[in-house]
Amino acid sequence: MNLASLLSKDRVNLSLKPGKKEDVIKDLVYSIKKGADAELIVSTLLKREELGSTGIGKGIAIPHCRSLAVEKLEIAIGRTAKPVNFNSIDKKPVSLIFLIIAPPQDPGNQYLITLGKIVQIAKEITKKNLIQKPKTEEEFITIINDIEKGLVKRK
Amino acid sequence: MADIIEMHLKLLFDLDNLIDDMDEPTYKQIGFKIEDEASLVLIRKRNELLKKLPESLAQRYEILKKRYRQAIAPVESDFCLGCFQKLPTELQARSKDIIACPNCGRILYWRRK
Repeated sequence: MNLASLLSKDRVNLSLKPGKKEDVIKDLVYSIKKGADAELIVSTLLKREELGSTGIGKGIAIPHCRSLAVEKLEIAIGRTAKPVNFNSIDKKPVSLIFLIIAPPQDPGNQYLITLGKIVQIAKEITKKNLIQKPKTEEEFITIINDIEKGLVKRK
Repeated sequence: MADIIEMHLKLLFDLDNLIDDMDEPTYKQIGFKIEDEASLVLIRKRNELLKKLPESLAQRYEILKKRYRQAIAPVESDFCLGCFQKLPTELQARSKDIIACPNCGRILYWRRK
């Protein structure tokens, strides 16, 4: 599954309001779902965070879960001007957050495959120092698209 | 389905999926940091949620989970996404109750539009 095909401009927020970890997760979830569905997703994501932070280091976090509240794989991305404390693996705050929510039934295990791919892309973004580079949502999607194509070529 | 019961049931289901995913080799390979004893904490939380359900429903949930791994199946276009059988149309009218799929027995879940 092509990651860029799961992304649209309205799912990328380059001026996400900084705040606590819970606040940024909630803001991103509400870009996908509203009301009780959103609250269910937020509860599950926060339970996941209790097991160990999804902050993978170098300013990036990837909160994720499966939820009954979604029908298909959903992704939202947010960047904050002021880094957020995420209790990351390297203890550094994060400014780029990839949120991924999958439905419980998932033929072909697309969720875990996509999650793995996002981790790879996130690492490329930090390696190439691209977190702050894109100025628009479209630019951000293009960067992800280019990195994804590069990863495919490398295989 | 009473809202509070429905909420506990859905959260229980999502937590069970989280526990199952953490055991997947593909998930472990991705390399997220997981605190020691994390799955025990999660199992305790899911057991607390289970106790908040009416006993008969909790028992039914556990039996279904054992049988199918996922006790709840979403409904899409009148199909149970657990067994992919078409559901009788009259079930739609009772979509707010806790209803089992007449074919596989999973608890059906109609997404709110």
